[in-house]
Amino acid sequence: MNVRRGEVHEVVSFYSFLEVPVDAVRVCIGPVCDCLGAKELLAREQEHAQGVPVLGVECLGHCDLAPVLMRGDHVEPEVTRRTNAGSSLGLEQADGTLADYEARGGLSVLRDLPPKEKIVEELKASGLTGYGGAGFPTGLKWEAVAREAAPRYVVVNGDEGEPGTIKDRYVMELRPHLMIEGALIAMDFAEATEGFVYLREEYATARARLQQALDEFSAAGLLDGRSLELVIGAGAYICGEETAMLESMEGRRGMPRLKPPFPSEYGYLGRPTLINNVETLAHIPAILRDGGETWPRVRLWSVTGAVDAPGCYEAPLDVTPRQLIEEYAGGATEEIGAVVPGGAASGILPPAALDIPLTRESLREWNAGSGSAGLQVFPASYSVLRLLAETMRFFAEESCQKCTPCRIGNRGMHHLVEELAHGEAVMTREQAEEWLDAMAATSICGLGQGAPFPMRNAFRHWPDLFEPLGEPAIR
Amino acid sequence: MRAMVSFTLDGSPASAPEGELLVHAAARHGVFIPTLCHDDKLDPYGGCRMCVVGVEGSPRPLPACATRVTEGMIVSTNSSVPQFRKTLTEMLLAEHLDSNPGGRPNELTDLAQELDAEAPFTLPDAKRKDYEDRNRLMGYTPDSCILCNRCVRYTQEVMQCSALSLEGRGPEARIVPTWERSWLDTECELCGGCLSVCPTGAIFEKFLEGTEQPERELVKTKTTCTFCGVGCQLDLNVDPTTNRIVKVTSEPHYVSNEGNLCVKGRFAFNFVHHPDRLTQPLVRREDGDLHPTSWEDALKAAADGLNRVKAEHGPHSIGFLASARLTMEENFLIQKLARTVVGTNSIHSCEAT
Repeated sequence: MNVRRGEVHEVVSFYSFLEVPVDAVRVCIGPVCDCLGAKELLAREQEHAQGVPVLGVECLGHCDLAPVLMRGDHVEPEVTRRTNAGSSLGLEQADGTLADYEARGGLSVLRDLPPKEKIVEELKASGLTGYGGAGFPTGLKWEAVAREAAPRYVVVNGDEGEPGTIKDRYVMELRPHLMIEGALIAMDFAEATEGFVYLREEYATARARLQQALDEFSAAGLLDGRSLELVIGAGAYICGEETAMLESMEGRRGMPRLKPPFPSEYGYLGRPTLINNVETLAHIPAILRDGGETWPRVRLWSVTGAVDAPGCYEAPLDVTPRQLIEEYAGGATEEIGAVVPGGAASGILPPAALDIPLTRESLREWNAGSGSAGLQVFPASYSVLRLLAETMRFFAEESCQKCTPCRIGNRGMHHLVEELAHGEAVMTREQAEEWLDAMAATSICGLGQGAPFPMRNAFRHWPDLFEPLGEPAIR
Repeated sequence: MRAMVSFTLDGSPASAPEGELLVHAAARHGVFIPTLCHDDKLDPYGGCRMCVVGVEGSPRPLPACATRVTEGMIVSTNSSVPQFRKTLTEMLLAEHLDSNPGGRPNELTDLAQELDAEAPFTLPDAKRKDYEDRNRLMGYTPDSCILCNRCVRYTQEVMQCSALSLEGRGPEARIVPTWERSWLDTECELCGGCLSVCPTGAIFEKFLEGTEQPERELVKTKTTCTFCGVGCQLDLNVDPTTNRIVKVTSEPHYVSNEGNLCVKGRFAFNFVHHPDRLTQPLVRREDGDLHPTSWEDALKAAADGLNRVKAEHGPHSIGFLASARLTMEENFLIQKLARTVVGTNSIHSCEAT
């Protein structure tokens, strides 16, 4: 066997699902689930456990059903979805089969693909940016990969792991053919004969839907000498980071690579690789069909937490939190205490920010980001310190352990917030800011670089909570 | 010969062979950039982040241990870099429970002293499970480990064995012998390479002989290993008060072994001081006992004996068995002696078996 014992040990211990029996019960204890009673649910399950391990875990990707419980790979009580029609993705109407998809106008772009220059031009004109969280302009990314020498690979990032983000799951469960068409367009563009969809292990429903759709594409002869394969993750948030994902695909611990070089140059197996998020690819058929200029500039917003109708809704890029909550998600169930605009690492904002457009530009003024567009609504009854503590604990638990600022910085910030809840100051405000600066600037990947956002937001918007730490640093 | 490129280091013009690691290029220009996870025997890792420097055009600082010099690069080590170094050192200290196991050198505490860095607190989950290993040569103190991963990478990249693993993720992560077995039950050959790259002394020699001296006071004498013909260069570390060897080390720039040693070279030095060790020639006389004598006399006794056997029984009655400790040149001389002086083809080396 071409694998060493040490590699097995390192890999098995890295991925949470490789260590537990397949029928284990997992309860998400991430912030959204926590504020909706996950710890009580976990305690009840543990009390009634009959020889099966019952584990509290980080985000299971079904935040609209919070608090989430999975028995094996089955979500209880069942996977349901709330969405809207939308002008780009049309999620409201699910495609049962490839024929359904084609009847709605699907495959037309794939069958009559414009030349490469035209594709790049349309992507640039659409202003489409990566919807996984980093927001890199898609047209530029495609152009960069096309410049590199063949052979090239295409990878679809379906390792949606950012707490509060469920949009890619909706796409894959409701319109798998649409994402696959987007992926095949990318493969044609990159002249790649091999493509992969890296899917998080928790998405059993999406996996079945994708596999069925892939079989249909294959039977219809649409793969045409190409392969598009599912690669299933094993429970590690960090594997959503593109270079960690590549490491994971190559069979190692999901520890991010140093960048540069970027995957467009040095990716899967060291070859130029085009990596796109599920939702990003799903928008591409519409952009190429209708033209980049006329594409409505929308994205999917996951709205979860203390709202009446948690779900995933297509809305303009400049939608406000209040619009999402009231016009899409049925309104808040309680007085709102805080919102997280775009996933755990995007920041934490006070009710005063409910009416700002959720664009990158406007959020920058609040020192926050739109990230993966996972709007989480927390009630005033859920303390900001607890939200912050759960968030930092999440980052600490999910740190791959490669770099110091992420590995220890997140644990330090978690410790700081936990102790603050007891009125104790374990470090000064100045020291805390130095730690956050080092995390943001010197961490290898987005996990450590993004983790300071919620802390810094809380410093700014809830200064009273941090009074025990003393005066902020003068900058 | 690689082409030279020009770059700017802290405002001054500098030059380096194209592709040289920034950490080395800076050192040649007198700018010392501290590293903890870097080791010249290993591929760049960029994990500890202690060596980050500002590079114009890069949105964030880059690790000097993994960044190669390019033409026109503008590098700065004096803007926000010193504060990052100090903060990263504080972070490492916040889980560094045992900073001085056995008085061994510790690059982290040295750096902390130099930068005047202290941990603001000890992390509540800093304590790691203790580790005991039944082998007699190497020990491990998990609470001194800073997860720089040098040891694990050494086993993977240099030894290509599987003796150590970086286990888990999150606060529970740690480095352990694979599957937490004794090193004796892994692929480990006890070469001690992992402990030679450890920056904090977390993996260490269980000294065969005690010394009262802190490790940094030992006196090093460079020599060639006597165990085989490879000719590994090593340093005998001598306790100056007792004048006895207590440890063997080697440096990455030493020829033939590049700082690597085997279990014999690193650990089997206690024969040097052994009371049974022969330190002068002995010849067995008529009385059947061994008697000290001069080299000249001893060689003559051997030559006389061989000549006598050759005269009585012919040259093919004599065979030569060469020691595995001999160099190639010495082996050549032995077969020359056997073939031309004695006239036999019966020559063997125990290295051949």
